Amino acid sequence: MEISAGTGIDRIVILVYFALVMGFGAYFGRYSKSTSDYFFGGRRFSWWLITISIVATGIGSHSFVKYSTKAYQYGFSSTMTYMNDWFFMPLFMFGWLPIIYYTKVRSIPEYFEKRFNKTARYLATTMTLLYMIGYIAIQLLTLATALYRIYNIPLMATVIIIAIATTIYMHFGGQTSVIFTDLFQGLILLFAGLLLFVLGLQYIGEGQFSTGLSSFWSYLTPEEKLPLAHFNSPPNFNFVGIFWQDGIAGSIGFLFLNQGLIMRFMAAKNVNEGRKAAAFNVLLILPISAIVVSNAGWIGRAIANGMPGILPAGLQPNDVFVAVTNIVASPGVFGFIIAALCAALMSTADTLVNASSAIVVNDIYRPLMKKEQSEKKQLEVARYASIGIKVIGVLLVPFFNSFESIYEAHGWFHSTFTPPLVVAVFLGIFWKRFTTPAVIATFTVGAFLMILGQFKHELIAPFSHGIELRPGKGYSYIGALYNIFVCASVGVIVSLLTKPPSKDKVDGLTVYDVSKLKASFKGGKVNDAKGKTVIVDWEISDIGDDSIRFSKNDMLKMKAEVGDLVYLCDNRKWLGGLKSIHSVYGEPHDTDGVVMITKNQQQSGLFDQNRKLFGEKEM
Amino acid sequence: MLDFSRTWLPFIYLYGVGGIAFLIGTILIIKTNALNLSSQSHKNWFIILLFGFIYYAGIHATFILIALRG
Repeated sequence: MEISAGTGIDRIVILVYFALVMGFGAYFGRYSKSTSDYFFGGRRFSWWLITISIVATGIGSHSFVKYSTKAYQYGFSSTMTYMNDWFFMPLFMFGWLPIIYYTKVRSIPEYFEKRFNKTARYLATTMTLLYMIGYIAIQLLTLATALYRIYNIPLMATVIIIAIATTIYMHFGGQTSVIFTDLFQGLILLFAGLLLFVLGLQYIGEGQFSTGLSSFWSYLTPEEKLPLAHFNSPPNFNFVGIFWQDGIAGSIGFLFLNQGLIMRFMAAKNVNEGRKAAAFNVLLILPISAIVVSNAGWIGRAIANGMPGILPAGLQPNDVFVAVTNIVASPGVFGFIIAALCAALMSTADTLVNASSAIVVNDIYRPLMKKEQSEKKQLEVARYASIGIKVIGVLLVPFFNSFESIYEAHGWFHSTFTPPLVVAVFLGIFWKRFTTPAVIATFTVGAFLMILGQFKHELIAPFSHGIELRPGKGYSYIGALYNIFVCASVGVIVSLLTKPPSKDKVDGLTVYDVSKLKASFKGGKVNDAKGKTVIVDWEISDIGDDSIRFSKNDMLKMKAEVGDLVYLCDNRKWLGGLKSIHSVYGEPHDTDGVVMITKNQQQSGLFDQNRKLFGEKEM
Repeated sequence: MLDFSRTWLPFIYLYGVGGIAFLIGTILIIKTNALNLSSQSHKNWFIILLFGFIYYAGIHATFILIALRG
């Protein structure tokens, strides 16, 4: 079926949107002054800002197409993958998050070197980069597939234009730009997706929302209303396979290995804010996101069931998102919703590019350079790395375009690159006995056994849970269970056969030491006494060190002592911590309501004249 | 009539196997003191963790029941 190319108004709306986002990103580029700012946003943001920017990262442009397709075919069970992420939250919030935050690792591969050795780091670097660059290519391909129909520009030319547009604000902005553009785009995404649902219900109810809602419900069959798919059939969409591929491998991969997501949490002002962002995201935002990405398919299914003749008889499920949007949205609104698709691509791609350039700088450039390089030089490398990564991503697009569908390309990708990393990081964090030879074997022998399973389907058969083997295609999702099993088995067996790591080697790098990490982060005894925050004016006072000084009374209110860690932030809460710094308490003075800071701290925190700050003790 | 493997079996598997992962994780963070239940803030987090599990199980169970009622 040929999809409508939209109108002139739609094209203008999309172009205006691109221009707006590039301007927004470039503006926030001025907040990136060091590699810490560029990659981690200076570890200063509030939980709500992190939450919304995670939304934009989690919903890729492929999400709308992929989930609408499944929603059209199978109904509400399209939401399964958005509703199965809570099982690993205890380990993430109280295990992995404090480890990465307090040990100050800059990348997942760096953790592998600390926990194991350099070889483990290189293997992890290679696999992580391959995974992320491939993911970028898939994002570019999905959006280009939608846009080239609207603008009638060849597919590869559209890919290149999108890559250039997203590179502009990334190149100058870094993580701060990513977070703020993703805040904007995350809100647009949620709004556009919910708007489409409302328009769809109004369409079904012939202008009446409440009538549309009851008709929508009555048009769906009981099977289409079930939230979970059939246990083990059909082979290309069944509960148990998707549970292992997404609920287990995908959830661990997303929470523990997605460098982009990890960097978001490291941009939080403290670990507790990171926990709040994670909990709020999974409890509230993910269910809403499930509706946002699936509803076009549900509306399409209800129309097909209850209003025959409106959707073309030969409609391909992959086209349902654009087809439904076309029917229910007027000119301009269609453009706005396609712009939301652009938002999904740009926000996911920028995170992945920023994360990949962090890995290039931290895991390739720094280790290769014998001497410590200046911040300026590292920033330059990071910026050019982000361009290089986009170029490789563009070059990979034709490879992914050769798959039968984007869904299949994405599935192949997940099942190939995630399991060894998932097993390695998981055993590394939660099993002290896991050894360096074992992690190397997990990456190499485990990967070999996984590839073997791709050719010898009888190896996967014992794990199939009764799922039918598709001739010529093998097992799809349930292969993840086999892959996890072989990688974990290799890791456990080799660990038991080799010498355990010394206590010093794993100190502070496993969940068993989390309670001690705060003290090591601070560099001294933790002061956990609960104090109040204080609102203060600021004055410049260059005293020769990096401490900041409050009055004795203000320190008493905060229950702070000299040497404790402090967070100082612009008092306008809606800025989400954009203008803030971390420091340590210096010797107190006698003027209440005033904090003394250095010129450098004022510049780093971008504190405005005559604007009050609030100070709070961190630990 | 929808059969058991289309209705409640996926639910039982999801919260059975997923529940084991959740339980092991929770016990591990308590045993290692990463979640310190003598701290009020951590106690609150513990309640939120349990709530999240029941919340999702509740949503899925409710939708299955509603779907079965037609």
